[in-house]
Amino acid sequence: MVISYGHNAFSSDSMRRMLIERNGDDAVFGHFGAAAGYALAAQRAMCTFHTGPETWKHIAVGQRKWANMNPLATMYQRTMSFDDYYKANWVVEPFRLFDNCLMTDGGRAIIITSSERARDLRHPPVLIAGIGQHNPSYDVHQSTHLTGPTGAKKSGEMALKMAGVTINDIDACEIYDCFTYTVEISLQDYGFFGPGEGEDWFKDGTIEPGGRMPVNTSGGQLSEAYYMGLTPLSEATMQLMGRCCERQLGPTTNTKSPEIILCSDNGGILQTHNCTILRRP
Amino acid sequence: MADYNKPLPEVNEDNKEFWTGCKSHELRFQKCKSCGHIRWPASIICPICHSRDLQWIVASGKGKIYTFAVYHVAYHRGFENDLPYTVADIELEEGPHILSNIVGCSHHKVRCDMPVVLSWEDITEEFSLPKFRPLS
Repeated sequence: MVISYGHNAFSSDSMRRMLIERNGDDAVFGHFGAAAGYALAAQRAMCTFHTGPETWKHIAVGQRKWANMNPLATMYQRTMSFDDYYKANWVVEPFRLFDNCLMTDGGRAIIITSSERARDLRHPPVLIAGIGQHNPSYDVHQSTHLTGPTGAKKSGEMALKMAGVTINDIDACEIYDCFTYTVEISLQDYGFFGPGEGEDWFKDGTIEPGGRMPVNTSGGQLSEAYYMGLTPLSEATMQLMGRCCERQLGPTTNTKSPEIILCSDNGGILQTHNCTILRRP
Repeated sequence: MADYNKPLPEVNEDNKEFWTGCKSHELRFQKCKSCGHIRWPASIICPICHSRDLQWIVASGKGKIYTFAVYHVAYHRGFENDLPYTVADIELEEGPHILSNIVGCSHHKVRCDMPVVLSWEDITEEFSLPKFRPLS
């Protein structure tokens, strides 16, 4: 089975039109699209626990460092400092430009087959060890629990249980990162840190090359390319196969050689969530 | 009012009573006659107890800002001259959360949990929009 995704979101206006098309009477008040929906969730989080740009800058800059090691990444040749992050324009506050993911022309595909068939293939296979799905589904501005837990909590618990591992066994994460805040709230709800502890957890290069928990090692949707859920899944698969060249987890990047990688996907405005645990055979 | 160039409400059987109320500067919501739940958006059954028995009530127009976002980009040309403008999710005294705008307050001063009150904006002969301003 092939799972594929392709789009010319950068050169055409199709993605933009999909994202800002009228959603009921929200448009009457000038409310459109995904950035603003996630901004509402992020703003509520900012008044509920310690978070904001001082946390998100570590995500934007950390992922950019991975992209700078990935020749396929849109931002391969563009470095980013904390200063660059803060100097970028607001889009929908509290999000600045680099809190937002990219619009990309391109695609990704993953082949899924039985482990028996996979034995004969040229590349070493990667196993799907656990899958969890949880869909809170509330429209963002009718939710009375916007700060979570999001679907990441239950889907993460389900996926870890199915895989027979705990959060402490995870070597790296490939997180659906439509916005920087999505990375924070997903990792928080998976249990990597408590509410408001994100800034402390991210600082000092935790998710960067050489860090103790590498996250979005291709640059992610913020700095590599936006291919929906296939950006995280394809990168985790390639990392576990050992096919990531300069950015390969292990001795090359002074990180732990990965056995188990956690991937996430989100739909709507934190309305659906999938967690997938991949591992080496 | 003739040159109003923003999107207008789309009236249907569910929300007709709401927009008619707005025209009279009344914020009307459905209240379940069975369990008392006050709901938004309007619908034919109660999302809590599934009863179809309902009455319309007029809300006080008071609430607080549950969350907000400040637009620095216009996704529709009708809003270009309003930048930056604030979209907020208001938690009304009666319970429902409703999406609207914060007016009469610099976007720098808007905060979550800030008490707000209705501020009607008459946009066309047919429509008035329920917006909110700080209660002070």
